[in-house]
Amino acid sequence: MAAFTATSTTTLISPQISRQCLAPTRISGLKMVSFSNSGRSNLPVSFRRLQISCAAKPETVEKVCNIVKKQLALKDDVSVAGESKFATLGADSLDTVEIVMALEEEFGITVEEESAQSIATVQDAADLIEKLVEKDSA
Amino acid sequence: MLPYFSKLGSKMKIRCFDQKMFCTSAFSPLQLPSRMETHLWYVLPNEVKSQSLLSQYVDLLSPHEKDHVFSMRGDELQKSALLARALVRTTISRYQIHSHVSPTSLVFRKNAHGKPEVIWEESDDWHPPPLHFNLSHTSSLIACGVTVGSPIGIDVEEKQRTMKNRILSFAKRYFSREEVEVLSAISDAEVQRHEFIKLWTLKEAYVKALGIGFSGAPFNTFTIRFRAANSRPEDSTIAIVPLEKPTNLTTNWQFAQVELAGTHYAAICRQNDGFPGGESMKVIVRKTIPLVEENRIDSVDDLS
Repeated sequence: MAAFTATSTTTLISPQISRQCLAPTRISGLKMVSFSNSGRSNLPVSFRRLQISCAAKPETVEKVCNIVKKQLALKDDVSVAGESKFATLGADSLDTVEIVMALEEEFGITVEEESAQSIATVQDAADLIEKLVEKDSA
Repeated sequence: MLPYFSKLGSKMKIRCFDQKMFCTSAFSPLQLPSRMETHLWYVLPNEVKSQSLLSQYVDLLSPHEKDHVFSMRGDELQKSALLARALVRTTISRYQIHSHVSPTSLVFRKNAHGKPEVIWEESDDWHPPPLHFNLSHTSSLIACGVTVGSPIGIDVEEKQRTMKNRILSFAKRYFSREEVEVLSAISDAEVQRHEFIKLWTLKEAYVKALGIGFSGAPFNTFTIRFRAANSRPEDSTIAIVPLEKPTNLTTNWQFAQVELAGTHYAAICRQNDGFPGGESMKVIVRKTIPLVEENRIDSVDDLS
């Protein structure tokens, strides 16, 4: 890995994509990464051309978790996180649709049936939400 | 010769005696449903308490099914998932289709859209009957519908199930305009909730019967229409009205609605071609504890 200068406020990018996004800048497509040194990147060219897409923000995942917990009336000892699958939490088809509707209301989005059908985990839902929110604001 | 069942028969007598249960002749031969019938089997998880029985159920499952059952979060959900697989396996084997078919020997797969089906072992001298099944479960009741010669979809919901979203908001978002009008016209909130749940089970049963997934037949692309009581008797009372043109939604389906155990609404959907005079579906309901007992329920409230 090539060496580059980073200030104490930046996060190192490793070749493995981690779930921690650089805050507040989201990395997507071929956008450059901005560091605190006035937006100029010290990264070698090979890094700047990397396509990195982030998973959803932790706050989004947490909101989804809360909506799921409420819909399924889960006991406190049942932990819900990004990797939690709706099916294994006991959501039936009506629960799933209710959850999707609650997410639509919470985030101001519309989820088409095709997209809803592909949601298996809390993380899937959070990622889809952010994709739709970004699309709406574009 | 039915080697599997005669072995189990003698074991069952001992179990019955220990548990002081009244066992019906659970393992006398059972006919497949005729082409005019639908069989509906259900189990109540609350009635299955024996740990040894539950581990017998685990032994019936494929490794993949075991993984799935134990991935469920919590004892109740694991038990429910286990009972669902045990119900399907024992129910299909119950028809004693072939001496090689036992609850453990059945192999299942999902079709391209995720609908489960049996893979039969065919040979030159044996072709399996066109048996179809569909499962539905709630935390308190698990049901399996069986037909011959027609795809089937079923859905069960607790009568007392409450919605987290407001019913009319939910209906406006997911149901058709005509259905929203019908629900809106109901002034009593409790009656409205019951009618909503029944409508949901009908729509869900249809989509499951079609077997093309939730996105293949979005709920707002068709109306479930109830024909008035004074129309001709040979007309079916529940019709599917596709709302888009062109549509991939077929309409040659018929429905039955039944109330199970006094606590659940169930909807059944199957094809209705070849029924003389459009007779309504004959549903035979059996309550069961897999491997232990079954009881035919004769007076089932047909809600349709």
